[in-house]
Amino acid sequence: MEVLMTPAGTLHQSPSRLHFLKPCHNFVNSTFKFKPQHLYTSRNRSRTQLPPPLTLINCKLKSSGEVMKQNASKKIELWNSAPPLSEEAEKNGGSGKEEDPVKAGSGSSAVSRSVKKLSRKVLSLLSNLPLAIGEMFVIAALMALGTVIDQGETPEYYFQNYPEESPSYGFITWRWVLALGFDHMFSSPVFLATLALLGASLMACTYTTQIPLVKVARRWKFMDSPEAVRKQDFSETLPQASVQDLGVILMGSGYEVFLKGPRLYAFKGLVGRYTPIGVHLAMLLIMVGATLSATGSFRGSVTVPQGLNFVVGDVLGPSGFLSFPTEAFSTEVHVNKFSMDYYESGEVSQFHTDLSLLNLDGKEVMRKTISVNDPLRYGGFTIYQTDWSISALQVVKDGEGPFNLPMAPLKVNGDKKLYGTILPVGSIDAPNVKGISMLARDLQSIVLYDQEGKFVGVRRPNSKLPIEIDGMKIIIEDAIGSSGLELKTDPGVPVVYSGFGALMLTTCISILSHAQIWALQDGTSLVIGGKSNRAKGEFGGQINRMLDQVPELVESSSSSVTKQSKDMVAAASFTDPSARPS
Amino acid sequence: MIFSTLEHILIHISFSVVSLGITIHLITLLVDEFVELYDSSEKGMITSFFCITGLLVTRWIYSGHLPLSNFYESLIFLSWILSIIHMVPYLKKQNYLSPITAPSTFFTQGFATSGLLTNMHQSGILVPALQSQWLMMHVSMMVLGYAALLCGSLLSVALIVITFRKVIRIIDNDKRANLNSFSIGGTPYITKKRNVLRNTSFSFLYSRNYYKVQLIQQLDHWGFRIIGIGFLFLTIGILSGAVWANEAWGSYWNWDPKETWAFITWTIFAIYFHIRVNKNGEGLNSAIIASIGFFLIWICYFGVNLLGIGLHSYGSFTLTSN
Repeated sequence: MEVLMTPAGTLHQSPSRLHFLKPCHNFVNSTFKFKPQHLYTSRNRSRTQLPPPLTLINCKLKSSGEVMKQNASKKIELWNSAPPLSEEAEKNGGSGKEEDPVKAGSGSSAVSRSVKKLSRKVLSLLSNLPLAIGEMFVIAALMALGTVIDQGETPEYYFQNYPEESPSYGFITWRWVLALGFDHMFSSPVFLATLALLGASLMACTYTTQIPLVKVARRWKFMDSPEAVRKQDFSETLPQASVQDLGVILMGSGYEVFLKGPRLYAFKGLVGRYTPIGVHLAMLLIMVGATLSATGSFRGSVTVPQGLNFVVGDVLGPSGFLSFPTEAFSTEVHVNKFSMDYYESGEVSQFHTDLSLLNLDGKEVMRKTISVNDPLRYGGFTIYQTDWSISALQVVKDGEGPFNLPMAPLKVNGDKKLYGTILPVGSIDAPNVKGISMLARDLQSIVLYDQEGKFVGVRRPNSKLPIEIDGMKIIIEDAIGSSGLELKTDPGVPVVYSGFGALMLTTCISILSHAQIWALQDGTSLVIGGKSNRAKGEFGGQINRMLDQVPELVESSSSSVTKQSKDMVAAASFTDPSARPS
Repeated sequence: MIFSTLEHILIHISFSVVSLGITIHLITLLVDEFVELYDSSEKGMITSFFCITGLLVTRWIYSGHLPLSNFYESLIFLSWILSIIHMVPYLKKQNYLSPITAPSTFFTQGFATSGLLTNMHQSGILVPALQSQWLMMHVSMMVLGYAALLCGSLLSVALIVITFRKVIRIIDNDKRANLNSFSIGGTPYITKKRNVLRNTSFSFLYSRNYYKVQLIQQLDHWGFRIIGIGFLFLTIGILSGAVWANEAWGSYWNWDPKETWAFITWTIFAIYFHIRVNKNGEGLNSAIIASIGFFLIWICYFGVNLLGIGLHSYGSFTLTSN
């Protein structure tokens, strides 16, 4: 009957069991032979090889239940994640926590035994749930503290802002901040140690608790007494119903169904049991990747005026002891062009840098225009567009020049950039140099002021439109921007990304809940019990809906007639004789 | 100009409809038997949903980018999501959420339209770092996560309130039908008074307390499910944000205040799930954690923006009182 319910895989038995299982197949098939069956293709398929009658008898001599059980367990092993049937499951694996992860060898010395004892103690300490929760609380609190305390300032700043006489928030003083390294919270030993401890707890918990829990979930058994079935979170008794009908309906709703005589077991969403392990492993993967990033990466930033070059290796600085330069560091980068896009309102919308990568021979190996959100990747390093500034103005004065006037950033309150330069007028050696001031917010327009600081006019670069200031004719030829680039190599990114992927996937799957249903034919009535590990509220409703479909048997006999449909007649009729104690 | 007028009209219609709906809700709370009124408040929520949808679409067309670029827009989006949650038939059937989602929609909209944020009503330009496909993914997932987590943690807050209140009055005729779960069929709710707080696990013996325990269990269960979904969205939101940051800022994690607070929120809800693993911890303990989470979400969503620090500063604003 089990073969009926789970058609997949029965034909691929392992050779060692084949001779034993075959008669039992045949037995199942042969019983079908006498029954009307137009319902299930799977049954028809299995009927193709009809057995000699002798084997039938053979099989019947064996306790049919035992054969079924073997068959079921065999089938399940083929099924990747289905639970193996083992009746002694409860005995040795009932409580995952007690299970000894480190098995002491029989002939090991006292020293190694005590080491193992110690490691077991450490393991059980680490996998303690309250400890893990405490660690998470501490990490959350430290992170919150890290956003409250200003990070990365000089010691003087902390002396001033966190004086001992009046601790801010009641407890933060500079002595604390500096002693514990909270001025750089996210790399402070305290924070990293807590993270490491959490990582250790994650590993210990996965090893000692979660894997055994899954093992327990994978084990299952039929329930033999109606009381046991009724003890489940959800239970129901159908007065006139057959367990086979229920099996068929459960299968239709995506359950894996196992049937042995009057007993039924069905489950769905076992994968939901694996997700805690998956989530933990993904977290560990992210931690490993982050460690790799912290110890093995190079970073650097550079502001390059348009038209100049730099070598990648000169900019990048190592971040940890695992940072090893690669060949690609000798690549030279040439900034071909820096340009900016503007909105109609004049605000900067995007900035681009046209970069060429040159190898040692000076040959161009790559060329790309990068912008914010569109970095360049080559040979393990990445070049990001992060910033911009104005490096110089090209000015023609009275037909002379052009002169390159370097621009300097001017600090004005607010986040808008402002650059300025001055074109000296008269003798440069004079003690009080005066000149024409030129200010620019971006590459679009330059504002000019005369020697007295009075506004004269606005000119666009490239417009070639001269402006007269104090008798001088000035043409602004061009404004040369410089591109703010950030470079990095990060060997941790692939690891972290795979961790991200795994975390997203497992969190999605964890919505699924593992539902288990037991049923027992008790005379003409059917006792059903079930439980679910997550969707407890919906689970009852779902089962109720399925139970509504179970046809009611008008007359309980081997040729019962159902009210519902002719099809159900077929389903109900080929019942195992043992299923119906008359 | 037409667009902004249209926006104005839509937001005002939506806001007034929601406030009407809330009033009707309150009336139905006090007077049991007004089914028509209850229906009309439901219709009000649907109207309001369409108004906000219209508003968002108008803003999208008008500004040419997804209307998620500043705090005002994200608040409107939040109230839109809340009204969607309100209307999801699957959740509506349970009917625990509608008393939470409707006022939440009201408050977020009220806050968004209040004078405090007037200088943000203009849809601004998109700074270079925001010009990415990731904007839609990251922000929508985060706001979706916030909305679901807010609802879930409010259910937990309700659980705490009910557990610690001596007098409970369960009102709302409609809830009756939904609250009797599969195991007890059709038993009507009664107004009941409890003078003694009893240990919930033993109180099954007391029939008067039975409904209270039922309600607490249901709140606990639904809070858990909704927080589970919110946690999923929060995870996706944070991770997509990290991937985006690796494209735009040069590192997948910068310990920016907003990031850090999102991570703190994530950690707190992770703690919530771990406390639930422990069978004894179901219910009250986890509900307390979830209510802490409720405040953390607001710090993360609102507080960090108020300070306007860090890389996420485009979401920042200053409160103007005019």
